[in-house]
Formats: sequence, structure tokens, C-alpha cells
Amino acid sequence: MTRNLKRLAVLSAAAVAIAWSGAAAAQTEGGSDTDTKNFAVVGNVPAMCVGGTIAGTGGTFDMGVLIDLNTGLLRTDLAAPPKVLSGSFCSARSTITVNATPMAAQTFTSTPPTGFSRLVDYTATAAGWTTTPASYATSAGSNPAAVQTRATAFSGDITVSVGNFSTNGGATQRLVADTNYQGNVTVTLAVAS
Amino acid sequence: MKRLALTLLAAVALPGIAHAQATDTATADVGVSGTVARLCMLGTPTPAPVDVGQMANTSGARVGRIAVIAPRTVTLPGSFCNFAGSAITVTATALVSNDASAVEPGFAKAVNYTAEVTNWAAGSATVTTAATAGGGSPTASATGPTQPAPKVADLDVTLSNFTAPSDFLLTAGAYSGLVVVKLGPVASGGE
Repeated sequence: MTRNLKRLAVLSAAAVAIAWSGAAAAQTEGGSDTDTKNFAVVGNVPAMCVGGTIAGTGGTFDMGVLIDLNTGLLRTDLAAPPKVLSGSFCSARSTITVNATPMAAQTFTSTPPTGFSRLVDYTATAAGWTTTPASYATSAGSNPAAVQTRATAFSGDITVSVGNFSTNGGATQRLVADTNYQGNVTVTLAVAS
Repeated sequence: MKRLALTLLAAVALPGIAHAQATDTATADVGVSGTVARLCMLGTPTPAPVDVGQMANTSGARVGRIAVIAPRTVTLPGSFCNFAGSAITVTATALVSNDASAVEPGFAKAVNYTAEVTNWAAGSATVTTAATAGGGSPTASATGPTQPAPKVADLDVTLSNFTAPSDFLLTAGAYSGLVVVKLGPVASGGE
């Protein structure tokens, strides 16, 4: 009898041992009544700039008659309403650059006689994008202010204006007659590195 | 196993021997019992991570604004719960620009989307993120209906309906978000 009970005790111990090993296996696998999995979602937006459009009558500053008909010299009151570039934006840090060419006589293309000029200089300015407007003087040898940098993305209007007109060669030069004096202003938005 | 078998044979034989040798009778019953723990397991998300690529239009009337982004599906294969009364909780975080600087007026640095987990209960677990243009409050969570029986299934997580807050222009840069799927008993599954 005693011997039988002892064997039974051994058997029970074996059963317990089997049960324990099962529990240990479950714990090693880390199972529980709740499981969580996650995954990342990624995407990107490229840096880009869009220059916008000019509303209204188009992209020409019409300066009218350039000279004082009493003197033949450049008028001192030349002015034109600014042009607004609407819908411009850059999605990242950017630069705005303004470039301009003098108004030049398009028909009278040869070298003018002494005392005459066929070029009118001016300053073109692009404001609204940067704290300091970008400006370009066609008479200047260099135009460090022509490029301005904005550190952040931006969306807004750019106001382009022209002013500070002067006769190339000096104020005493007279302009040759021509039905078409023409210059060009270019505003460039670019993603800054 | 061999030792166990021998022991069991001995246990069967011994009462007979004892009966033959003793005048009284001793009987012992040995119960065999076990338990199965409640268990839920989710399969490994495949494919992951999800890269939706370039998210903005680069031309046309909507240049700079969010493009049409095709839905993406991620599968968690062989997911199961061995008990009745489980539910899916899905937590989604909007795609937010990794650039921490403040957003400019008219721009957004977040992309919201809908995450829908299907194939578990009668209905899906669906959540739509609602981050602000500046990337605030990007995380949202929802719990689906209860599954009334033990179940094993391939769970599908579909990401769709990608939008920018107020349809603003998107700030350039890399964006990242996160989807967390949780499967568990209804009581703890519905945080």
C-alpha cells in the first residue's frame, strides 16, 4: 500500500512537471489575449515653385510718350501702375530674382549720333515675396539686390513695378525718334538649396 | 515519452497486484486537466512600411495641392483569437512633415487618411485622421464591432481618402504617419 502511494506520488509529480513545461512554452512565445502590430506610412512632397499669372490687360507696362516734347529730353514724370503676379507660391525655401533689360529703340538699331541715345534705363522691383524687395537697375554694373531669399514656403502676390527712369548716356542726351522702345522684366522664383 | 508510457503502464497494473495481495481494496483516481489561455495573435503586416510616394500635383489647376493617391492595402495574415468576444481597435496617425518648423499661411504640413480594418467582425473598424494644417492632433482611434466566436483570418488594412487640411498647398518635405492595429477582448480592445 505504502509502495503504491509512493508510485502515485511520483506519477503526480510527473503530471505536474508536464503541465509546467506547457506553461513555460506559452510564456516564451509571449502570447496574451491582446496583440498589437503597427506599420509606418510615409510619403513626400517635392519642393516646387509656381510663378502665377498677371491679371487684367496683360503683361506690358505702357509708358506712353517717353520725351518732353518741348525739350526732346526724357520726361521726368514717367510712371506706370504696377503689375501683380497672382497665385505664386513655393512649397519650400526659395529665391526671387528680378532681371531687366533697358528700353531700347526697336527700329533705330544703329549707334545713335553724338548727343543722342536709343536706350532708357530704369529700375524694376518685385515686392511682396521677401522683406527686402528684389530690385534690378538696368544702368548698374552689378545688382546684388536682384536676388532675395525667403527661408520658408510662401504663397502670395508679387507686385512688379518699374521706376527711376533715366537716359542711357546721361540726362543731357536726347532720345532718337522711334515708335517702339521696348525692354523686358523677368521675375524668377526658384527653390533654394 | 518512453518513461511516461512505462509509468502509466505501472499505474494501470499496480491496482491489480495490490488487489491480489491485500484483503482490502484501495482505488485512486487521477484527474487529468489543463487550461488553454485566451490568446490573440496578429500576423506580420505585409507589405510594410507603406510608401505612398509623391503626394502633390506638380502641374495643372491643382499644382502644389494634394494629388489623387490610390488606396493601399496591408494584410495581417493568419490573425486569430481563440475565444469569443474580441474586437479590432485601429489607431491611425496622419502623415505629418518631419520638418518641425511652423507652417506658413495657406500651407499644410499634414495629410489625413482613412484606415479601415476588414475581415474580422460583421463590420469594419474604421478611423479617419483629422490633423490640422500645422500637423496638430494627428492621431485618431476607433474600435470595430465584436466578433462573437473564435476566429482566424487574414486582416486587411486599407488606407484611402488621402486629403490635406482645408485642401491647402502642401509644404515640401518627407512625411510620415503610423497605423496601429490592436486585437483583443472587447473589454480591453475598446480603449
